[in-house]
Amino acid sequence: MFFSRQDKSSGHMGVLGTVGTIGMQLVAATFVGLAMGYFLDKWLGTDPWLLIIFLLLGIVTGFRDVYREAMRLQRRSEEEGSGPGAGTR
Amino acid sequence: MAAGLAHPLTYSVLIDQQLGLHLPPHVYYMWLAMIILFSCAFILRGRLTLVPGGLQNVFETVIGGLEDFVVLNIGEEGRRVFPFLCGMFIFILVMNYIGLIPGCDAATANVNTNAAMAITVFVYYNYIGIKKWGFGYIKHFMGPVAFLAPLMLILETVSHIARPLSLTLRLFGNIRGEEIVLVLLFILAPVAGTIPMYFLFILGKTIQAFIFFMLTMIYLKGSLEHAH
Repeated sequence: MFFSRQDKSSGHMGVLGTVGTIGMQLVAATFVGLAMGYFLDKWLGTDPWLLIIFLLLGIVTGFRDVYREAMRLQRRSEEEGSGPGAGTR
Repeated sequence: MAAGLAHPLTYSVLIDQQLGLHLPPHVYYMWLAMIILFSCAFILRGRLTLVPGGLQNVFETVIGGLEDFVVLNIGEEGRRVFPFLCGMFIFILVMNYIGLIPGCDAATANVNTNAAMAITVFVYYNYIGIKKWGFGYIKHFMGPVAFLAPLMLILETVSHIARPLSLTLRLFGNIRGEEIVLVLLFILAPVAGTIPMYFLFILGKTIQAFIFFMLTMIYLKGSLEHAH
């Protein structure tokens, strides 16, 4: 049912998929940073410092990924809006 | 469909009692999906025809459409990694749909199945990148500016490790949530309440399988294309 009009609907599904990933990526990157800091602290014994640093790095990473994803979406919508074959792709 | 109950009675519980293997339900439903796909493949392999009909037509439409989509996004190199992508999509789709059968449960409603698949994806796209670029693959982690490279190395590492985590949790949360909603609606209004939700969840489960497929494709694209 989704593949009968593959040309059009895969574009819509692609946008839906990209939008759906944004929030998850932000949270996941934060938690990965937190976990890396926590275990590095345990390993090296530098109690709160690496945790704080890596948590901040994780948050920065999450925001950077969201920014990059949003830019990619915007570029694609501009391409589709101005291109001559916008409806057929 | 019975994932939300504390003591779900699914077919796998009955099979498990018969076999005495003490395996969790999602393993049985994963095997069921594998059996379905393998038997489809073996049936089709025996009678491939030039003019497709029936089951072959369905598979050719799905796989052909997906291949066009992948080649449009990655380029001609996408044909090399396409079998992995398409296998992933169809496998997840079948596992998701199995959850809609009464008395069955989606294998993807368990976090272990999804973690296994997400880690496979992680290893695979890094393997493809290392195979293509050799040691130069590390440039993908360095960013465009030379003096920021140590910082970017840490940021990219965090970002790459976050990918399998987000893949796992997204698929798990969506499918598990849908299973729980189905059970709750079945308790509230048996049959009449669940049938409208089936249409929504067929859509939702297809989209989730497609998102997993599409993200894998984006990651593979990132490891195949030239670094910045």
